[in-house]
Amino acid sequence: MAFCIAVIGKDNAPLYLATSDVERELDLQYHVHAALDVVEEKCVIGKGAPESKELYLGQLFSTENHKIYGFVTNSKIKFIVVIDSSNIALRENEVRAIFRNLHMLYTDAVCNPFYIPGEQLTFKKFDRAVQKLMSGNV
Amino acid sequence: MSRQASRLDAKKVNSEFLTLTYGALVTQMLRDFENVDDVNKQLERIGYNMGMRLIEDFLARTSAPRCLEMRETADRIQQAFRIYLNVQPTISNWSAASDEFSLLFDTNPLTEFVELPSDLSNLRYSAILSGCIRGALEMVQLEVQSWFVQDQLKGDNVTELRVKFVRRLEEAIPAGED
Amino acid sequence: MSEEIVFDCLHAEIVNYCLNNSKDQNDLGTLEYIGFTTGYRLIERLTRDVGRFKDELETMKFICTDFWTLIYKKQVDNLRTNNYGMYVVQDKAFRFLTRISPGSKQLEQAPKFVAFTCGLVRGALSNLGINSTVTAEVQTIPACRFHIEVNRDGHHILFSPFAKLAQRPLFVRQLRLQRIWICVYTQCRLWTY
Repeated sequence: MAFCIAVIGKDNAPLYLATSDVERELDLQYHVHAALDVVEEKCVIGKGAPESKELYLGQLFSTENHKIYGFVTNSKIKFIVVIDSSNIALRENEVRAIFRNLHMLYTDAVCNPFYIPGEQLTFKKFDRAVQKLMSGNV
Repeated sequence: MSRQASRLDAKKVNSEFLTLTYGALVTQMLRDFENVDDVNKQLERIGYNMGMRLIEDFLARTSAPRCLEMRETADRIQQAFRIYLNVQPTISNWSAASDEFSLLFDTNPLTEFVELPSDLSNLRYSAILSGCIRGALEMVQLEVQSWFVQDQLKGDNVTELRVKFVRRLEEAIPAGED
Repeated sequence: MSEEIVFDCLHAEIVNYCLNNSKDQNDLGTLEYIGFTTGYRLIERLTRDVGRFKDELETMKFICTDFWTLIYKKQVDNLRTNNYGMYVVQDKAFRFLTRISPGSKQLEQAPKFVAFTCGLVRGALSNLGINSTVTAEVQTIPACRFHIEVNRDGHHILFSPFAKLAQRPLFVRQLRLQRIWICVYTQCRLWTY
């Protein structure tokens, strides 16, 4: 089952990407890339609307095989999660929980004084935790 | 907005603010000095200066009487860590002569978010703590040595800070370095 | 309270370190930068459970009220804006100035006690997407007035705040182009630019 978690920086450069299925990594990355446009749209159009206060953006779009969800922090860091359409175990609440955990992990990583914001996230602690988050949900 | 932010735990924010500021100082020093040993020395020195100031506050706060032996001193140090850093180190590994002991930390607030890059394995990130102990005790006429034996940042299970009694200083000697 | 004194001691030591270590005793750049990185990282945590900010004013309000109160344990005494990107925060008893006795001699020393905070505010705003210049003005100790000037042109900057740091030899920085990725897939790297 495919699963992908991506952290995208302010300038839309990828900071971190993890997939459970190496074979289909390119395909999944493509979805992440496409999702950024939707994220941008959502952030602009939702301006002023009360529901847009939430950091969680919900499902961005879906394809035949995948569902793509998004989340944007107040610091304009985007989190994208791609899951298989056939994965029915993950409902809205579970997806929210994944984002909440990911957000927590990301803020901790930013607080590492040796991490330079905007650089790729290569720290072991972060990677291990995200991999765990992924394997717990596949 | 304000309602949401006020939910943040003020004590936690305090400690994170301290942790992050300290981290910024350490990385600044790494840019300022080519040699990591110099950074270790500087951090220890900053700790020493802070210890000399914090002991005043500690004595005023606890109105603790003079320590007669090292075991009492160890308890006071433990108490100080609880007051100022909100951590409770365990005192253990006393030497046979009771002049040397270890403080064991399960958690170290200073290194909460830190992951040392592999090329900085000789950096003593928390050197400020050993400096603090040395500075504080010198103000109460105790000369000690203090150093790290184990460090969770380097992969050890606990962080162990060793303190060794050297000698009792004469009252007349003015405290301070340089 | 007890953690506050630890922080105050650390702050005093950082001030001394930065000034003794720079060639020019009046160079507050390093001190401001330490504040900047601290603010940049700290705000990431503090805005974790806060809803999305609607606009610049809302962000500024958060920084000057909530953020300030959390860090300095008191509310600002006055917050004003001219609505053209200039904000003025007034604190009648600024934390790092309360331990200094008033006097003209001490007034000369004041800039070094406010530089960290200028950086802290600038860093927090920078991470929230607001590029600004923060200066402080001390007329009588311990009162202090911070001027935050929002630089609205540089809205979409590519991490220039950290570029200064990146030029230094300790870190190797890669040039990153905007959104030109996932073009080529190689075994050894997840992404190429």
